[in-house]
Amino acid sequence: MTATLLEVNDLQKTFTVRRGFPRTETVHVKALSGISFRIAEGEAFGLVGESGCGKSTAGRALLRLIEPDGGQVLYRGENFLTAPGHRLRQLRQKLQIVFQDPFASLNPRRTVGQTLAEPMYVHRLGNREEIQARVESVLDEVGLPRAAVEKYPHEFSGGQRQRIGIARALVLEPELIVADEPVSALDVSIQAQILLLLDGLKVRRGLSFLFISHDLGVVRHFCKRVAVMYLGRIVEEGPTEEIFDGPLHPYTQALRDASPVPDPRAKVTMARLEGEVASAINPPSGCHFHPRCPHAMDRCRVEYPKLRAVAPGRQVACHLHDMAA
Amino acid sequence: MSEQAPVLDVQGLTTEFRVHGEWHAAVRGVSFQLARGETLAIVGESGCGKSITALSVMRLVPQGAGRIASGRVLLEGRDLVPLSEPEMEKVRGNRVSMIFQEPMTSLNPVLTVGFQVAESLHYHRGLGRAEARRTALALFDQVKIPSAARRFDDYPHQFSGGMRQRVMIAMALACNPAVLLADEPTTALDVTIQAQVLALLAEVREAYGMAMVFITHNLGVVASIADRVMVMYAGEVVETAPIDAVFARPTHPYTEALLRSIPRVDRNTTELQAIGGQVPAISNMPAGCRFADRCALVEPRCRVQSPPLTMLPDDPRHHVRCWVRGGETSVEALQ
Amino acid sequence: MSTVHLSTRQPGALALFWSRARRNKGTAIGLVLVLVMVASAILAPWIAPHDPLEQDIIARLEPPSDTYLLGTDPYGRDILSRILWGGRVSLFVSTSAVLIAMVVGSAIGILAGYIGGKFDRVTMACMDVLLSFPSLIMGLLVVAMLGPSIVNLILAIGLTAVAPFARIARAPTLVIKEREFVEAGRAMGFSHGRIMGIHILPNVASEVMVMASLWLATAIRTEASLSFIGLGVRPPTPTWGSMIREGFENILDAPWLSIFPSIAILIVMLGLNLLGDGLRDATDPRLRHE
Repeated sequence: MTATLLEVNDLQKTFTVRRGFPRTETVHVKALSGISFRIAEGEAFGLVGESGCGKSTAGRALLRLIEPDGGQVLYRGENFLTAPGHRLRQLRQKLQIVFQDPFASLNPRRTVGQTLAEPMYVHRLGNREEIQARVESVLDEVGLPRAAVEKYPHEFSGGQRQRIGIARALVLEPELIVADEPVSALDVSIQAQILLLLDGLKVRRGLSFLFISHDLGVVRHFCKRVAVMYLGRIVEEGPTEEIFDGPLHPYTQALRDASPVPDPRAKVTMARLEGEVASAINPPSGCHFHPRCPHAMDRCRVEYPKLRAVAPGRQVACHLHDMAA
Repeated sequence: MSEQAPVLDVQGLTTEFRVHGEWHAAVRGVSFQLARGETLAIVGESGCGKSITALSVMRLVPQGAGRIASGRVLLEGRDLVPLSEPEMEKVRGNRVSMIFQEPMTSLNPVLTVGFQVAESLHYHRGLGRAEARRTALALFDQVKIPSAARRFDDYPHQFSGGMRQRVMIAMALACNPAVLLADEPTTALDVTIQAQVLALLAEVREAYGMAMVFITHNLGVVASIADRVMVMYAGEVVETAPIDAVFARPTHPYTEALLRSIPRVDRNTTELQAIGGQVPAISNMPAGCRFADRCALVEPRCRVQSPPLTMLPDDPRHHVRCWVRGGETSVEALQ
Repeated sequence: MSTVHLSTRQPGALALFWSRARRNKGTAIGLVLVLVMVASAILAPWIAPHDPLEQDIIARLEPPSDTYLLGTDPYGRDILSRILWGGRVSLFVSTSAVLIAMVVGSAIGILAGYIGGKFDRVTMACMDVLLSFPSLIMGLLVVAMLGPSIVNLILAIGLTAVAPFARIARAPTLVIKEREFVEAGRAMGFSHGRIMGIHILPNVASEVMVMASLWLATAIRTEASLSFIGLGVRPPTPTWGSMIREGFENILDAPWLSIFPSIAILIVMLGLNLLGDGLRDATDPRLRHE
């Protein structure tokens, strides 16, 4: 087995929101109730779930773009969350992020050249010639013409902008990229182009990925292992194929069944999940999923099931599988 | 072909938009028929003209910037194109309704959802206030809004995205339309909610005997809801066929490539194939086939002359616009 | 092009502005008006036909004539020369004041918006207090406390404009700091100062510049108002405001005393407003490369 690159232990984040008028009340939204996972060198690890499950918060919290409330993020054994300022800056080079929205993620007033050169300049990675050379090679790598350096983001299409975003993440030679829904905003044909580009980076550079997505098909294509999140917790984790071919958690099953497949013969298998995702402000007692779960038992209403191993490399948080184990 | 006259018959619809002072066709020569109770899915990527087609049917193309240049839109035998705006207002939300991707923008944030549905009933069907309210409440039940009576007087922001879409569906059903146009109604929703809304749409279509035009970019969604598919590319119809034929035998190179570029959840995609390049700009359409620049099968003639929509020899319901893959008989010539 | 020039800046905003200004009539007119007024103020020592302080006892309150193109005041001083010289003072005072307000105000606004939380609330509350004073009253208070002098006048007018600049800079900062390119910058280890200075500032600059051109007009008016009530630059140094006030004593028999400096103010304000609109269009990158 390859070495662990990133280890996340019990990462927590609660947002405090003041709302209401004229009487404001303070509510706490538990976005992350302690999630843990490991990503090996060169591995693509998927984080899937529906909106509000905390998957994006997880990506941002581990990069300290949102300060987490607790937990550990160990990068090659070194805690990223407690790293002092200068060390944090060094570590940041190794962990980069690619965003969903290729429009919002680029500064409209900076040329592509400026955007790509700036991180190297800030980290003093070489003189002007070296920086230029690196910018050119990264543009080649993401499939953009070199003339792009002179242009502004708005002169590019969505897919090309996403390539610029990926190029920016690459210039610092990171080892891990947090890809937050990197293809969700793109058209189907462009989505495939970007996925193939990321595939290439994974193979050529040996990059690790934390790949956050709501699209199970994309995750199955890109990730070797996957964790399914529901209301701030991981409910199931394991090898992607095994999880999607034989989901154990009822939520994973529902998610898989609800994911549309381009095959008219597959529509009959669509089992439908009742109800909507509960509020993270006031999550249901016990297992958060029990109000929608077709298999809910009395125990599910009071006790949150622990995430436990049920097979080699597979973990699930569900009382149904407690008994089996 | 069909036993009865189609509820919606669009013939040679061309809608143009003004770009830098010149008119360019965003939708060119689109024709389709819709039978009672049938669901037609219009599929394509952004900019292919699928939404403009629906907006043209509703006569909601922004005035000044766009115009219907030619074609007829026959709703139950009556051409909508020459109708005046006041006449059209009576048709809209009455015989033909439309739901959109983002229901929040279609609902007035300062009025309660119940009031808005009842208002539509009051306006179009001339029901009294009390009766409109009763009917609206029944509609809420029908679209499965939980504890409908309690939530009737809530405001749109108090509803989740899925619930708002249900409200929109209730509003669209209010006048028992003959045709429902659904423009990416589930795109903004989570998959489990999407499945619920798709099921609901299939159910109400059955119950009301409506015909539905379902616009989406998601071929997975198409597979689960449509009877027939119309694939659009750069403003033109490139392939039309019954649902099974499209997936079993995608014939236009674009349809085929599109299907190969989707990673699937139910099996390993060994080879993901991307379509290189981009959709040409509306103001810069190539002379021949509009897909030629991205096509793997491109031949010299494709770049010279635009191919007609043709019927496949062994399946008269399967139409393809392609020099290489298409049949001999032009569909347009038949009409 | 085979090599990449990272240092090459875009067709500078200025060059672009020129090319745009030529196409947009309003902007061109605004630009010409402002340039003419500024140039004539700067060149006053050379182009003024008379000494602005020289009194011609024989030619008092003369209507416009060949010798005195815009007439003379009660002391027989040449109005045209006084307007030209007065423009120097008026424009210098208002430009300096707006520059100070722009720098201080934008810095406060960006900091407040970026840091957020309590700092934002307290700072903006202070700005609201400042904002609640009409600018004339504020100027009056400061000048009354510090005494009338050019520097104090600049400070007074500058202070009145800090709050609006803080407000105008804060609003887009709130939006931009949530944009993902700011997060990307943080992920790449950029300092907060760099993010504010290099990534946020240029994105709020267009709003600030438009505001500056409009406030320049207001500052000229405030200067004139303060001079008008005698709290501006001390006589005999001419400013447009003091000239209007002096003219008021003879408004019925010699209306040109007040009218001509008023027209000077009007021209500059009109020019600045037209220019402000043009500036807004030119600095918006989305409007480039049509």
